[in-house]
Amino acid sequence: VVDQIRLWQLENERMRTMAGFLFKDFDSAEEYLSLSEYAEEIGVLVWKNDRKRMFFASKFEQLRDYLKSRKKAE
Amino acid sequence: MVRAIRGVLIECEPAIKSIIVHLDSANNDIIIEDLDETHLVVKENMVQVLKQKLDDRLKETYRPEEPLEDSE
Repeated sequence: VVDQIRLWQLENERMRTMAGFLFKDFDSAEEYLSLSEYAEEIGVLVWKNDRKRMFFASKFEQLRDYLKSRKKAE
Repeated sequence: MVRAIRGVLIECEPAIKSIIVHLDSANNDIIIEDLDETHLVVKENMVQVLKQKLDDRLKETYRPEEPLEDSE
């Protein structure tokens, strides 16, 4: 049993997975920064790369609403 | 125009990542985006297949030194 537990732990260390959404193809750096900062603020930001202007978030709905309200305000 | 693509983020060591990249290269049906040395986004429906393939690959590699058969 100990061996099996050890194997299971190895399996978990080998690969961490999380379902969510990749945000990419932003029109501007400003749009990227504003949305990624908002994602961080509400606690859904999992990974980001400022240079690539991409981030991964665990949830989608609030970010979509944020984008919509932002577009309206423009 | 910004896009949100549904997928599964995988975090793993570079050696594992390179195996995944290699598995994907056959049909390009696993990876959505290669993010960096230790991260990539894959299709949600491919995660189980990927885990299985990775297991097979690692068993092949490690069999001589550490048998994975149940030792009890």
